[in-house]
Amino acid sequence: MERHIRSMVTTFTALAEPNRFRIVELLRSGPRPVNDIGERLGLNQPQVSKHLKVLKAAGLVEVEQRAQQRVYDLRGEPLRELHAWLERYRHFWEERFDLLDGVLEELKTAERKRKKARNR
Amino acid sequence: MSTFDVTLPSDTEILMVRTFDAPRHLVRRAMSEPELLKRWLGGKRTTVTRVDNDQRVGGSYRQEFLNPDGSTFFFTGTYSEVSDERIVHTELFNGEPPPAIIESTLLEKSGKTVLSVLSRFPSKEIRDMVVATGMSDGAGESYDALAALLPTLT
Repeated sequence: MERHIRSMVTTFTALAEPNRFRIVELLRSGPRPVNDIGERLGLNQPQVSKHLKVLKAAGLVEVEQRAQQRVYDLRGEPLRELHAWLERYRHFWEERFDLLDGVLEELKTAERKRKKARNR
Repeated sequence: MSTFDVTLPSDTEILMVRTFDAPRHLVRRAMSEPELLKRWLGGKRTTVTRVDNDQRVGGSYRQEFLNPDGSTFFFTGTYSEVSDERIVHTELFNGEPPPAIIESTLLEKSGKTVLSVLSRFPSKEIRDMVVATGMSDGAGESYDALAALLPTLT
């Protein structure tokens, strides 16, 4: 669990920077070389390299050397973990709110009955 | 069908929005009266063993829970704002400071109530920890859904 939380925090920290989030969004459509990423997002080479380094350390992207180019691709695993993490939280609250729905139905019925009794 | 959204508006916040098919005064009752709170606060697996709730400005509350494995935990805090449409309170997990701040807003529209709960945590680490301990299992696995949940940071 501890290790799990740490890796989650790493993923979040990496994604919390707007330009890094944009890089991840861009790579969803497929692998791209470094210069292409920079051009599309309007970032210079050192900026892109800096962000890619953080994303790589977080395990969010992997790099492959193709001819003269370094091509970056998205790694699904940390993102799936992150999604699962939010889903668990969401699931717990969904359970709570579903139970609350039941309580509210009862309150509504009780209120309707009281109103009817008053109007009689 | 009721909708339920969980998003992360910033590094230290969690926002939940849920619509209930009931007028606001009934949702408010279910969020205030201890006997009613006990029936839904625990979700499906956790038992709520105690709820004290002095819901007025400066008043405090305490909620105690029992997990299926026998372990227990509790939440405590005080109210800083209480009205029909807004409740603001602090939240301490097992009495450990610093507290989170929870802002609940209730909007009624044609007999239905939209509840928004914004939780503000003292740090990103604490926020992430709270989500990570979010009980039960049930995991989806689609990056498209994740993208919808994450805030748009552009």
